[in-house]
Amino acid sequence: MEPAVSRGGKAAAAGLFAALVFVPAFIFSGLIVGREISRFYALAWAVFAGASAFAIAYTGRVSFYRRLFFSVSALAFLAHFKLGLLDKALAPACFASAPYCHIAMAPYFLGYLYQQYLALMSAGWRLWGPLSLGAAWLFVTLAIGRGWCSWACFYGGIDDGLSSAARRPLVGTGRLRALRDLPAALLIFFLLVSLANMAPEYCLWLCPFKFTGAFLARDGGERAAQYGLMGLSLAALVAGPLLTGKRTFCSYLCPFAAWQAFWGRLNPFRLTCDAAKCSACGTCGRACPMNAVRSAPGARPEILAYCNLCGQCLDACPSGALRYTVFGLELPSFGGAAGALISVKYFYVFSALTLATAFSSLWVPAALRDMVKLIFG
Amino acid sequence: MQALQQGGDYLAVPALFSEGFLLGLSTGFYCLASCLPLLAPYLLAEGKTAWWFNFGIFLQFTGGRFAAYLLFAVLASALGEAGRYALPAWALPAGMAACGLLMVFLAVFRVSGGGGPCPLRADLNPWFRRIPLLLGFVTGINVCPPFAAGLMRLLQLADVPRGLVYFTGFFSATTLFTAPVMLGTPWLGSRANEIGRLTLLLAGLWYLALGLKPFF
Repeated sequence: MEPAVSRGGKAAAAGLFAALVFVPAFIFSGLIVGREISRFYALAWAVFAGASAFAIAYTGRVSFYRRLFFSVSALAFLAHFKLGLLDKALAPACFASAPYCHIAMAPYFLGYLYQQYLALMSAGWRLWGPLSLGAAWLFVTLAIGRGWCSWACFYGGIDDGLSSAARRPLVGTGRLRALRDLPAALLIFFLLVSLANMAPEYCLWLCPFKFTGAFLARDGGERAAQYGLMGLSLAALVAGPLLTGKRTFCSYLCPFAAWQAFWGRLNPFRLTCDAAKCSACGTCGRACPMNAVRSAPGARPEILAYCNLCGQCLDACPSGALRYTVFGLELPSFGGAAGALISVKYFYVFSALTLATAFSSLWVPAALRDMVKLIFG
Repeated sequence: MQALQQGGDYLAVPALFSEGFLLGLSTGFYCLASCLPLLAPYLLAEGKTAWWFNFGIFLQFTGGRFAAYLLFAVLASALGEAGRYALPAWALPAGMAACGLLMVFLAVFRVSGGGGPCPLRADLNPWFRRIPLLLGFVTGINVCPPFAAGLMRLLQLADVPRGLVYFTGFFSATTLFTAPVMLGTPWLGSRANEIGRLTLLLAGLWYLALGLKPFF
């Protein structure tokens, strides 16, 4: 429970938290953006991140403002990067080899390892790109772990945003719960098959936004099958969340979600249920967009490894029994408005928001510039 | 042609074994990549925490693969003796489709999370205890690039006993690459079995599609 503070004190603390997020976000964003476009766009994005931080700290609601930030980032990705692929100015040939996409990285991991082995043996230092990507992933995993899927992933942002668009779910996901381990099976399957064929099979068959011809087969029948599975993925990403109110793509088709669920154990942040406060009402299970909380009436909820710390259950819990912890432990509470910020919750939000802003600076400022160009010519 | 026959004749049995072994060693990675999508999901689905149980599965699977290799050695060498240097075009994709079908069948019926009668239950028919052997056999008749290279050599040798020696060497070396798959199995639980079942289903559908593709 957060200590009670005055409105002014709360605003001051929230302002301080916003500044703490804004400064590193602007530095990293500026460094990334400044090489190609005006730093003004980086500033705009960092201000938005700071405003999100302010709203989270002022209201105490993590998931609502996280979702807003996350969805804007994902929309910008679609607008700038994916629609950009339709433009002939971007030659699809540059994606002919295994792409540098975190979702592709997990199911093609064994292939990357083999490539690195070949690069090492042939002293082909230029081929060491995947190794640096691996180092970046390790840093992200140590910093926010499974939080990546609820703060930074561009496909996750689309799924999450759309899952909140439906006020009431039209279709239940009760039967789908039997397939909750499908992402883990997909991950193992694609790891093995990608290694066998030395090709990024996930991108070839299940990527929902294959807006480049480089991944499509020449054979007519095979191409039709690819389009069919791409349609299925797209439906899970767009129609699924609208109908069910759940993140269907992330929960059932994303191998990276399973990968991050496994390696996310390295990260110290956890979501913990206080048994003394829990009334076993099951609200958390119904609120979880990932179907990662198992709750039976009268029983304490079980938080599965697939939980990506989005905070939706935290906001929904009527008794405040759920909280962010470090390996199940909370920090000692401090009094005052600023003291409230010294908690696991805000350490986690700081890490996630700063990192997500830096990562999304690869496309959000550019999307802003696209928009400015579109409006003002 | 005669030169080829002579080329096959002067090689002693240990030399032929070594040749097969070296082919297996040099191309073992490809063998691993080809066999792993079949063996790993099965072990994951059917394995237990008892290491010896999993080792039994592995031994049966490997035995099935060995039997398939020997069968191919006999067939290919006999074809070579008869002067025919090719197998029927449909044989290999049909083998792959059979392999995929068996995996799908196993995933749907045998490793079932729910209740209901299972037509492949070991206590109904003791033959079904030998499913890993069968799976190993159908895996063995799938052609990966090094296996195809070995097959060509056998057609060239055109001698059944020598073909058996050659493929025994090949099998011994490639088993060295597939054996490490056992390492992770002591940590298997019911959750891993369920993930394995789903993986087996996906891999089965994949191989079924690959096998059927040449027929359409």
